Amino acid sequence: MLELDDVGFRYGRGQDILRGVSFRLQRGAFSFLTGPSGAGKTTLLRLLFLALRPSHGHIRLFGEDVTRLPRSDLPPLRRRVGVVFQEFRLLDHLSTFDNVALPLRVMGQDPSTYSRDVMDLLDWVGLKQQAHAFPPVLSGGEKQRAAIARAVIAKPELLLADEPTGNVDPVLARRLIHLFAELNRLGTTVLLATHDQGLFKQVRAPVLHLQDGSLRQL
Amino acid sequence: MTTSSRKPGQIIPKEAASLRTLTATMAVMCYLACLAIGALILINQAVDNWSRGLSGEVTVQVREIEARDIDVDVAAVLALLGETAGVTSAEDLGREAAEKLLEPWLGTEGLDALPVPRILRVTVKADHPPDYAVLAQKLAAVSPGASLDTHRRWEDQLTRMAGTLSLVSALILVLISASAVAMVIFATRAVLDANQKTVDVLHLVGAEDGYIARAINRRFLSTGLWAGGLGVLLALGTFLLLGYAGLPQADGLAAASRSLFYLPGDTWWITPLALLAVPVVATLLALVTSRITLLRMLRTLP
Repeated sequence: MLELDDVGFRYGRGQDILRGVSFRLQRGAFSFLTGPSGAGKTTLLRLLFLALRPSHGHIRLFGEDVTRLPRSDLPPLRRRVGVVFQEFRLLDHLSTFDNVALPLRVMGQDPSTYSRDVMDLLDWVGLKQQAHAFPPVLSGGEKQRAAIARAVIAKPELLLADEPTGNVDPVLARRLIHLFAELNRLGTTVLLATHDQGLFKQVRAPVLHLQDGSLRQL
Repeated sequence: MTTSSRKPGQIIPKEAASLRTLTATMAVMCYLACLAIGALILINQAVDNWSRGLSGEVTVQVREIEARDIDVDVAAVLALLGETAGVTSAEDLGREAAEKLLEPWLGTEGLDALPVPRILRVTVKADHPPDYAVLAQKLAAVSPGASLDTHRRWEDQLTRMAGTLSLVSALILVLISASAVAMVIFATRAVLDANQKTVDVLHLVGAEDGYIARAINRRFLSTGLWAGGLGVLLALGTFLLLGYAGLPQADGLAAASRSLFYLPGDTWWITPLALLAVPVVATLLALVTSRITLLRMLRTLP
């Protein structure tokens, strides 16, 4: 599913942000990615959702070496990956409903085919009432849930999440972790980057620890 | 409230200041293009009129030659012209008319003593004119003092001048289009910069460049149509104002502007079609240029 081999990354001629990172996620796996701030978690995730290309080493995603793929081959791969960004990245000019539906729309699906699924999911994450509100009026927790809903609406094979429980209360955090676990049970491979040690207790899963750009498995 | 009844929001937000500026400047460009097109039509129309008038008429000049009676020569030339195929009429303008033509240069005194040539006005069938080379030979045989003037020289000069003016108008149109292309490129970059965050998110949820380009491109459709429409309306207003508001200093311009709307017979459609082409071309130009620019710029993103 996902395989990193001696991956290194730096911006231009700057210092290495990641060094010799190698790991492998089997299909259906659930893993945590942790480490202190500035350890390179976000950069590693950006490499995984193909927003960056490694300076060194190889990344294989769904059997393809994405370090060598031409740009035009990336969109089909990205559609198989759901991403929850730490800063949400919701589009302020679209309603919560339209934000969540965006991945389906980009695939060319008609609103009549997906509106029910989107509403069901919004209901599930407790945002049904806010379906037609716009992100600037949502609270941090609501934005977080909208971002998660957008990441999972297209039933991705791989879900990457950067601090997905950072802005929500413990009760909702537990619900969200259960959502991820449920998706995982249905076959989605999940990699959660988090500081929150409490989450490790809720789901028994391997923890990848990133420190100073290098990885070790706990 | 049912969700399916709602139209999904526009992926690229509607308000974009750079597009409003583009619409305004493109409208000015379209207006100038309409004026250039008007000039092009008028020039070609005028050339048509002049050459139709000229080619319907030729002149035969009969000079007085010693030991010959000019009246006999004129009669013989008239007889020959009457028999020539393609000639509809031939008329001797008489000695007075010839003297009148010379008056500005020579005055009235002493003209009687001078050998004044006689002018014959010959009207010919414009679509089946006589063979002028043969006619000239026959005229020389009938009267050694007779010569044929077909106005070819004038016609050639007029055509050359009109050709130059047409070329200048066409060049102006090309320059206007080129500046419009440059403006669309600038505006496209500005729109893409203003929507950088949206474009990033679209890429990350798996949108292809073509999809993003289409979403942004749609904004340029209305820009082109508005700009073209405004330009044409302004130009129509200008032609009407020039044609009917009656500036006394610009009589010729007024007549010319009016004649744009009353092209003769089977050519009446040229002005409306040419003016209608402006918004169409402006829109196509905006769409194609912005799409090419977008695809090129998107290709440089991660």
